[in-house]
Order: sequence, then C-alpha cells, then structure tokens
Amino acid sequence: MQNKKLFSKGRNLLQKDSAKSLLASLLSVLIGIFAGALLVLIIAVFDKDITIGHGFEAVKLIFFGVLSKGRAESGEILFGFSGVNIGNMLFRATPIIMTGLSVSFAFKSGLFNIGAPGQYLIGTAATLITALSIPSTLVPPVIIWILAFLSGMLFGALWGVIPGVFRAYLGINEVLSSIMTNWIAANLVTWVFENSPFRNGAESGKVGYIMKTSANSVTTAKLGLDRIFEGSQVNAGIIVSCLAAVVIYVIISKTTLGFELKACGNNRLAAEYAGIKGKNRIVLAMAVAGGLAGGGAALYYLSGNTEFFWSTYQSLPTEGFNGIPVALLALSNPLGVIFSGCFMSALSIAGQQLKNFTAYNENITSIVIAVIVYLSAFSLILRNLFSKRKLRQEKSTSFPVNLAKREIEAEERQAQE
Amino acid sequence: MDNDYIIEMLNITKEFPGIKANDNVTLRLRKGEIHALLGENGAGKSTLMSVLFGLYEPEKGEIRKNGKTVRIKNPNDATKLGIGMVHQHFKLIDVFTVLDNIILGAETTAFGFLKRKEAKEKILSLSEKYGLKVALDDRVENISVGMQQRTEILKMLYRENEILIFDEPTAVLTHGETLELMNTMRSFAAEGKTILFITHKLDEIMAVSSRVTVMRKGKYIGTVNTKDVDKHILSEMMVGRPVQMTVNKSEAKVGKTVLEVSNLTVASELNKNKPSVNNVSFSVKEGEIVSIAGIDGNGQTELVYALTGLTGAKSGKISLLGEDITHASVRHRNELGIAHIPEDRHKHGLVLDFTLQDNCVLLTYFKNEFQGKGFIKKESIREYAESLIERYDVRSGEGASTITRSMSGGNQQKAIIGREIDRDKALIIAVQPTRGLDVGAIENIHSALIKERDKGKAILLVSLELDEVMNLSDRILVIHEGVIGGEFDPKKTTVAELGLYMAGEKEKRNAE
Repeated sequence: MQNKKLFSKGRNLLQKDSAKSLLASLLSVLIGIFAGALLVLIIAVFDKDITIGHGFEAVKLIFFGVLSKGRAESGEILFGFSGVNIGNMLFRATPIIMTGLSVSFAFKSGLFNIGAPGQYLIGTAATLITALSIPSTLVPPVIIWILAFLSGMLFGALWGVIPGVFRAYLGINEVLSSIMTNWIAANLVTWVFENSPFRNGAESGKVGYIMKTSANSVTTAKLGLDRIFEGSQVNAGIIVSCLAAVVIYVIISKTTLGFELKACGNNRLAAEYAGIKGKNRIVLAMAVAGGLAGGGAALYYLSGNTEFFWSTYQSLPTEGFNGIPVALLALSNPLGVIFSGCFMSALSIAGQQLKNFTAYNENITSIVIAVIVYLSAFSLILRNLFSKRKLRQEKSTSFPVNLAKREIEAEERQAQE
Repeated sequence: MDNDYIIEMLNITKEFPGIKANDNVTLRLRKGEIHALLGENGAGKSTLMSVLFGLYEPEKGEIRKNGKTVRIKNPNDATKLGIGMVHQHFKLIDVFTVLDNIILGAETTAFGFLKRKEAKEKILSLSEKYGLKVALDDRVENISVGMQQRTEILKMLYRENEILIFDEPTAVLTHGETLELMNTMRSFAAEGKTILFITHKLDEIMAVSSRVTVMRKGKYIGTVNTKDVDKHILSEMMVGRPVQMTVNKSEAKVGKTVLEVSNLTVASELNKNKPSVNNVSFSVKEGEIVSIAGIDGNGQTELVYALTGLTGAKSGKISLLGEDITHASVRHRNELGIAHIPEDRHKHGLVLDFTLQDNCVLLTYFKNEFQGKGFIKKESIREYAESLIERYDVRSGEGASTITRSMSGGNQQKAIIGREIDRDKALIIAVQPTRGLDVGAIENIHSALIKERDKGKAILLVSLELDEVMNLSDRILVIHEGVIGGEFDPKKTTVAELGLYMAGEKEKRNAE
C-alpha cells in the first residue's frame, strides 16, 4: 500500500500541469517548424525558380535561421554564432514579450485582451511625445527615458481601462469593445501626429515618420549587450521585459492580488461569493494588461534607432497582435512568454534570412511563418490531449461519450480511495 | 421462474486503472417489475448502467436479454435492444422545441423532410395515455425541470423502449412531481415495461419498487424483495453499518437575535412587477435552526442572495448582530458574521480549477495567517487545508493539491461545509446542504449542523427536502411565491400541512 502510494506520487509529479504544459508547448513548436519545413520543400517542388537544393537550404534556415552567417564565397550558407542575428532576435522579442505578457495577464483574469495593438499604439504616441518634448538640455536624458517609459505604460493602461470599464459595469464583451478601441487608437494617433512638430522634417523623405528619440539624446542603455551581440540593435530593453515577466509571474502566482484575479478568471460568481470585488478586478486587470502593452511600445521606440510611421490609420501594429500567439504558445505562463516571444522573433529573423539568401520571396516567407505560428498555437489542444490520453486508450466512440465516462470514472475513483 | 428475466447482467467486472468500479456484479430484471438499484455515490451504479447502455464494455461477465447473450458495444446497440435511459442530467437541446427533442435521432422523414405532423400525433397520444403533460412547441429552455423530465420519458416511449432506466430521477423534482412520476412508473410496469430505478432515497424505494439490488464500493451486496425489508435494513446494506435515520437533538437553547430581516423585498430579474421576495420579515437567534421550506423557485434563492449580498435588496432592512447590513459588501457581511453554504457548489461555492487548498481559503486568503504584505503564504495555506481535510474527512486523490474539479460531489460539498463552519461565524446560512449526497454523508452534515447549533450558532437552513426540514429545524417558515406564508413548530405540524402551505393552497383558502 505504502509503495503503491509512493509510486502514484511519482507518477503524479510527471503528470503535473506545468510539465504537461511545457511538453505541449515544445511539441507544438516542433510540429509547427516541421510543417513549415515541409511547406518550404513543397514550394521548392512546384516553383520552377526554386531548385530542390535551394529548398534544403531553406529548411536549414528555418531550423537555424538565427545562427546563419550568410553565404560564403563558395556559395554555401554558413552557420555559427551570429551576434547580429541573436542580438536582433532579442531586440525584436522585447516588445512582443511585453504584449504577450499583456494578453497572458488578461487571460489569467478571464479576459481576452485583443486590444493590445491599440494599447501599444497609444503607448507609442505617449512615449514619443514625452521623449521628444522635454528638452534634454534641461533634463538629464535618463530622467526623460524613465518619464517616457512611464507615460507609455500609463497611457496604454488608460486605453486598456476603457474596454475594462465597459465589460465590468455595462456587461459589454471586451473583445468587441477592444476591436473598436484599436481602430480609434489607430486614427487618433494619426490625427495627433499630423502636422505635429514631431514629424521628421530634418531628413529628406522622412516626413512620414516621427523623429527617432535619439534626436533628443534619449536612447535605451546598451549595458554592454552591443559588445556581446556585435552589430545588432539589442539594448537593455530585453532585460526590462524579462524583469516585467518575472514581476507578472510573481503577481499571478504569489500574491493575494493574483489569487483574486485567478478566482475571477476561473469563476467570477464564486469570486463574488468570496467577497472579491469582481468588477473592480476586471478594470484593474485590463489596466495592467494595457500598461504592459504600452510599456512594450515604449521599450521598442526608446531604443533610439527605431522610427515610427505615423499614418497608422491604415493598419494596426503587428507587435500588438503577436502578443496573442506568444501568450497562447506559452499557455499564458508569464515566464514561458519570454521563450515564446524569443521564438516568434527568431522566426522573423529566419524569415529575413530566407528572403535575403534564397530564392524564396517575402510572400512565401510570410506564409511559412504564418503556418508555423498557427500550428504552434495548438499547444492548448495538445495539452488537453495529454490530459485525456488515458481515456483515448479506451475504445471510444465520440466526444460526449468520453466526457460522460470521465465524470463517472472520477466519481468512482474518489469513492473508493 | 428462471426464464422470466428480461435482462440479466451476470458477474460484471469493470476496472478503471487502479480501481474496480464493478466487481463481479449481478443484476437481473424481471419483465414488468420496478427494480431499484441502491447504493451510495460512487458505489458503481453509474458504471453498471453505462455497461448496460453500451458506454463501456466490461472486462468480465455477460449480458443476456431474454436468456440470449448479447453484446452492447455502443448506445445504439442498447436502443436496438429496447433499452432507454433518463439520465440524471438531461440530454436535451435547450434551443430545440420539446417535439424536436423527442424525435431527434429517430425522425421519420419523407424525401429528407421531417414529418413532424405524424410524429406529433404519435407523441400526443402517448402523452395522453400516460398523463405526461408537455408543451410540444415550447423550447426546452423555457419549460420547467419536471416537464424536461417528462420530455425525456416521452423520448423513450417514442422509441418504443421496453426497458426504462431512470437515473436518480427524483433529485430535481418537487414532492408532488415525485408522486406523479411514481404513478407513471407504476402504470408502465402494469403494462409490462421493465423499470430500473436508480436512487439512494429509501422512501421512494419502499413506495414504488418490487425488488431492490444493493451495491457498495463496486461490489454486489444482494437483491431483496422490497416487502421483506425496511428502510433500516436497506440503509445498513448500502452503507455497511447501522445508520441513524432521524437526528438526535436536544432542546434548543435560544439566545440573542443574530439575524433580523424586516420587510425585505427583492426585485425579480425576470418580472418587474412581481418581486421574487415580497415584504418578508423574520429573525434567527443564537442556538436555533430556522428552516425556509418551499418548492424550488419560490424566492428562496433570491432571499439568500439578498442576505449574503450577492444581489441588492429593493427595500426593507437586514441587520446582523445589531448592525444594519442592507447595503454592506459581501466581504463585510462575511467578516461580520455570515458563513454561507451556497445552493450550487459549482456555481458559487468553489473555483473548480483551483486546488483544494486554494478553495479552502477562498474566503480567508487575505487574513494575516495566509498572507504577508500581499504575498500568499503557501505553506500556511497547505497546513490549514490539511487540517480541514482531516477534520471534515474530505477525500481526494492528491490531498490538498488535488484540482477540485476532479473530486466527487460529496467531497466537494464536505470541503465547502468544513470551510464555512470553520470560519466560525455567528450565522450559518446553509442552502440545500445535502443535495445529491448519500445517506452517510447526509448524516454527517446534519450532525455537524446540530453541533454548531448547540455551540450557539444561528442557523438558517433553506431546503427543498421536507424530511430534512422536519428533522433539523427548531422553527419552520414556509415560503410561497416570495411570501412567507406561515411559521410552524416541527413537533406540531405534519409534512402534509407544510405541503399545503408550500403549494399556496392554504393561503388562498385563508384569503377567501
């Protein structure tokens, strides 16, 4: 009996949710990458401009794009440690880790924050205006940087609060209102910057962009990262976003606030029964989510070498939407978001390599990446499959039957323990 | 005699990894009998029925129909053999009409079009014949639970099933509806249909069945003729030890008023003109159990919501320990002195995807014992949960870290009751605290409530079970259509009298 208990404890450890989640995420990433590689080969077969040889080169790039060092003179693609690629991967991961955290945090509270693009845009505008309008001759750039970062977070948070209030007090689904606030943000930002002094009139042909913050000497510190990853755009922003992930992780899993938010997210009625103010928590969760998205925008545009195209009324920033697959792939685990964010940006680096060094054009590359991302987001389904695995061993007919069986089995098991 | 069995399940063994859900169980049904299958939750009744209904194939044993061995591999095979089942949780489509639900899966068609008219006539004649009143053109979401059950029964009749399985059919019915259902079952049996009636309510077994098969912990205990046994024998067979049928309790030592409700009115969400709780006044004092008896849906739920702060009151006053709490927050009420065992443990009582230990502190996580500077003290929560689990005998697979969803209903309820009693508040509001639980668990919960009463707690019990009300209460208030129609002393009233007030008959007569 004792032995049996011990044995089952060991097995339970393996079957723990976190282990299952990690396995599910890794597997879905692999499935995604293999599907992408397969697609690349299929394209190679059908496209007369692309030889099978190119196809295999492309497969290598899909797997190891961040390690690509370009073509050698002999014509073959070299692989090895590439400071540029890895540094750029970290740089591009910075904002999507933040938006991924934004979506995850809302998700844990039972909300779907599809409003991250809008929050990101408003955060961008607030950051840029702050960073460019306080003269660095009067205020130290470090202080301006901090103020700009905070205002990005603050305005992103305000933009998140709007659908939060609608949801909590008027019962309007946050997905619907977030889609609206996204486009309001897109038009609002264009309107704010149109004819504004922040447009880049200094360089010719750049008037469609806002000035880089470096024009006001405001740039994110590199902290030596540029020496490790030479030639890349990486800066301390990645460290800030990783810290944000740790903070969010601690909030969700270690604090009473996290306990309340998870209770609301899982069963709002039970949370209210327990005396938790559900409406208040919804607004707060959306504020934090918005703040994270706005913070992501701040980290991206404060780098000093990124420019903002201000005619945003035509399209929403992809960094905002990418938060959704990043969060899904990480199964909303804040620490997992660091890795899924890096994976997503590694893919975009791989896409760039594909475009630069092979005959695959931009469109094909986008499709391949889309397939990988799409399949990667299946991690949720995979995890559920793991949980049901035991039942699938039974010869079963259909889903509802399985469900009924599961109920019965749980009940019998309890009763006999 | 040997050949008059219509269905025989012989030596059925069904194992799930680690447990034997059915261990060499035999069940034989005679044609035209009402056969009760009795057992506690988790005794293996559902598994046995799933085997008969084709959801599982047993590892050992065989099933015979009319003496011939049959294999039932899926529910369709069962239907072909004339086996029909009314599940405990109805399998109806809410947005379909009653008619469509009945014919679903057995539609008669011409050129792919439904022949609804024909089906309707057939169903109407069936419903007339057995007195099963249903509104065929109403959507299921708009009809009462009783009518939903009649719809399920008509489904079986429409398919001309001759072996009818009823899985805990009375759990959701009122007293009157239960009597009606039993009459219907009797008329089926008189016609030669065979009925298998799964329940753990002994009164119903004694009233309607001819034979009883008892199961315990997956094992077959025995089959007896109902007329040869009584409730005590049956409950002992089921639980494995003698069970106290009535609760022993001493005289109430009533103290100060804890809860005082005056002229409370709660608006109805559905009907603006008719409040769901209408001008209700009562009080609950230390050391007494006051029951609110009534048929489901007469304002009990809304009354409890208003008392606990889940919804607001329209007018009137609620005071707790002398403090006016009419507009206080849920948290304030909980802290001041309300422990609340909610009606629906899944809806309000638990966060099902939380661990058991997190659910144990659902109302107290913010206390200094369990948090410091906003950080959860996981170890203290664990220790507390383990002691609660120990003291209230909550059983689960992985102890404090079990995901609550995977626990059985009885143990979930025990966890809630333990949590609420352990909060040690002056008033305990217990709403249907024993719903869906077996005799042994009910006994424990009842004695726990009595113990709290004797410690000087004020207890407000809201229950649909008249036996429970009669057994536990010191005073009974009957609610009908949101109005408290009368107050009774359980020693001086009868179930019949309460029933009249619950149905509103008595009030009407008084008014006339």
